[in-house]
Amino acid sequence: MTEAVIDLSPLKTWSHLAKQRRKPSEYEIVSTNLHWHTGSSQPFDVDPEGFMNTWYREYRDNSPVTHPDWDSFRDPDEIVYRSYNMMQDGSETYVDGLLDQFSEEGHDSGLSASWLTTLQELYTPGRYLLHGAQMASGYLVHMAPASTISNCAAFQSADCLRWVSRVAYRTRELAIAHPELGYGETERQMWEQLRAWQGYRELTERALACRDWAESFIAVNVVLKPTIDECYWRAFEVSARRAGDSLCALLTEAALRDSERSRRWTVALTRMMLNEPANVPIIKGWVQKWTPLSDAAIQAYSKSLPDNPGAAEAAVERVRAFHQEIGI
Amino acid sequence: MALLDRSEWYDIARATQWTFQYVPEEEIFPEGHSGSEGISNEVWSTYDEPYKVTYREYVDVQRQKDSGVYSVKAALDRLDMYAKADPGWISILKLHYGAVSTVEYAAALQESRYVRWSKAPGMRNMATFGMLDEIRHAQAQLFFAHEYVSKDRQFDWSHESMKTQNWGVLAARHFFDDMLMSRDATSTAIMANFAFETGFTNLQFIGLASDASNAGDFTFAKLIQSIQSDEARHAQLGTPLLQILIENGQKDRAQRLIDIALWRSWKIFTILTGIPMDYYVPLEHRESSFKEFMEEWIIDQFARSLNELGLDKPWYWDILIRDLSEHHHGQQLGTWSWRPTLWWSPAAGVSPEERDWLEEKYPGWNKTFGKCWDVLTENLKNGHVEKTIPGTLPVICNMSNLPIVGTPFTHLKDHPWEYGGRLYHFGSEVDRWIFQQDPERYSQHKSLIDRFLSGDIEPADLGGVLAYMGIGVLSEGGGDAHDYSWVDKYRSIEAKVS
Repeated sequence: MTEAVIDLSPLKTWSHLAKQRRKPSEYEIVSTNLHWHTGSSQPFDVDPEGFMNTWYREYRDNSPVTHPDWDSFRDPDEIVYRSYNMMQDGSETYVDGLLDQFSEEGHDSGLSASWLTTLQELYTPGRYLLHGAQMASGYLVHMAPASTISNCAAFQSADCLRWVSRVAYRTRELAIAHPELGYGETERQMWEQLRAWQGYRELTERALACRDWAESFIAVNVVLKPTIDECYWRAFEVSARRAGDSLCALLTEAALRDSERSRRWTVALTRMMLNEPANVPIIKGWVQKWTPLSDAAIQAYSKSLPDNPGAAEAAVERVRAFHQEIGI
Repeated sequence: MALLDRSEWYDIARATQWTFQYVPEEEIFPEGHSGSEGISNEVWSTYDEPYKVTYREYVDVQRQKDSGVYSVKAALDRLDMYAKADPGWISILKLHYGAVSTVEYAAALQESRYVRWSKAPGMRNMATFGMLDEIRHAQAQLFFAHEYVSKDRQFDWSHESMKTQNWGVLAARHFFDDMLMSRDATSTAIMANFAFETGFTNLQFIGLASDASNAGDFTFAKLIQSIQSDEARHAQLGTPLLQILIENGQKDRAQRLIDIALWRSWKIFTILTGIPMDYYVPLEHRESSFKEFMEEWIIDQFARSLNELGLDKPWYWDILIRDLSEHHHGQQLGTWSWRPTLWWSPAAGVSPEERDWLEEKYPGWNKTFGKCWDVLTENLKNGHVEKTIPGTLPVICNMSNLPIVGTPFTHLKDHPWEYGGRLYHFGSEVDRWIFQQDPERYSQHKSLIDRFLSGDIEPADLGGVLAYMGIGVLSEGGGDAHDYSWVDKYRSIEAKVS
């Protein structure tokens, strides 16, 4: 019997990438196979029956959605940390330019009283909604079974913070221009009490409470975020343009660029899940379970949108179209 | 410019707390994740991070930082530092990248747990940046280490180490899983951000950066200095949290968490930083001794931070101070002796001039640790390399998972404790005390020796143990970094004397 000799001479890349017989990209070198607490019945080396090990076993490792190789997931945009900052620094410079120019032009003082009410009721309270998506994306970061998925979720969470910040910024600008209206003080009350927000609030709270990592991904990326995109952003943008609020419309377009990136990896990951036949009924079941909450959120919110008849139907249709694009 | 100043709108962006209507709050913030019990939401909303940054500022500043680091790398790659570097320095790079790169990635997951589970809205936002920071650190260090994989297979550990069962990894994983990965968000932030990051990352990322610059590795120096500039920001996550706990009757909880984390961090850093600083860095490039760095950043600065918060020094302060002159010297003897088990080649660091330096920095070293090295050196002088490599396994501490060491001839003892019908061994009374705080948390973990004795490792011989640890599988193990050339100096001295 001869023992197999292991060749330990230097390779051109990490041993796990050496098999692919081509030069790995920077994305592959720095993003792949980085989780070291997967693949074992005890994710963490302490407290085997404790809260955290139990949580990960139950809601990650025993998810009904399975795949033989989650690590094979790739972000279609192949974003790495430094490219993210380069890209977003450019986008933020553009947004700064918009805010600067519209401020110079006295944009906020020219808005109508009725539109200012709409902004106060339906726009500035949106930071709660976006922050909910920021938090829920943070959950996916530490629960996803592959680092390439975690990274996408991390950049998505940061994108959400970006727009929490910009909505807060606009809130303050509007408060300065119209100090008598209570901008910056009434948002929580609007979010908690205004009928228009209750569908979004319920969807957000339930998405936050969702524990299974794969269902959480479906709830957040396939349902909640598209519901935010198609209604809070896009339907509101239509009303904004009709009310002469070009700044709001341009900011929304910038926000939707981030959403498009989120959707690209959402499509890729959902399709990866759907490629396993056993996952198909589970994913479809989850989408069916969560979509009524999306519909209700859109209906409640759209009712109050001015000069935008048919907004709800159009938004619902666009969310459906996204689901069809994925193959659900 | 008619843009608003950050201070005008910052508070609005962190006013994101609401009352849950459709799901009970305990389902959104389970105690096991959030660790917020006994403190009201109103209090959590007062969390005020001392270092403020906005998304807009973050992506700008971080883009510039990366531009600086990657451009230095690009410029200096041509100089081929690697080919000219002292082998001891190469060993530092292998140890550092293997021990740090993917742990940084786990720290991104740790920060993301605050994004989701912290009840303090300000902390959730700051942690979003902390999460990005840690992705940066993982990616940059992986990218830089990857430059060297084609030169030496041992650099593959930069990516793979934490997935192996190497003894050093068992120690690191037990420590990081305990502190970073498996406690609620509040406790984790106190242990990881306050106790670990404010104190110890300075040692590795500033202390070692000085040595790196001196040694001519400007790429590495620039990289780790830049990393530390992020650490210095997000380390501050823990301080306002501590203030909230102390003001709300949870000072004892905070103190206990700090006491555990500080000791555990100390132990792991003796290997990661202590040994390289005092033994691997070429003598002419050493900035300060490990003990001097420890005295500056932990004994003085960290103790001052504790005092400012109204907290006490850990109860074991005297033991820690004694350990500053002891523990890493013992671990150096161990790691160098068991060099075939490492993914790097340790430098002995005990040439005549280096021993003079050690005696100067650690008076009494020659009479204690030095005597062990006398025997090793004598064997090497006589050509008996095999006598310098132990044929048995050491006694390992069931808390630190490091060999139990001490000062030869004066202080070296096991601190055993029986629990649940099993005898556990500890390297100090502090390690044992940590175990006793929560025995169930630690009692089922097996050290490398426990695994060997219980038949988990097959074949149960040296070859089997090495393979179990990834040696001869992922890469070759270590040898002496300088291939024993330092022994020639002793031969020369002897020749002159005779």
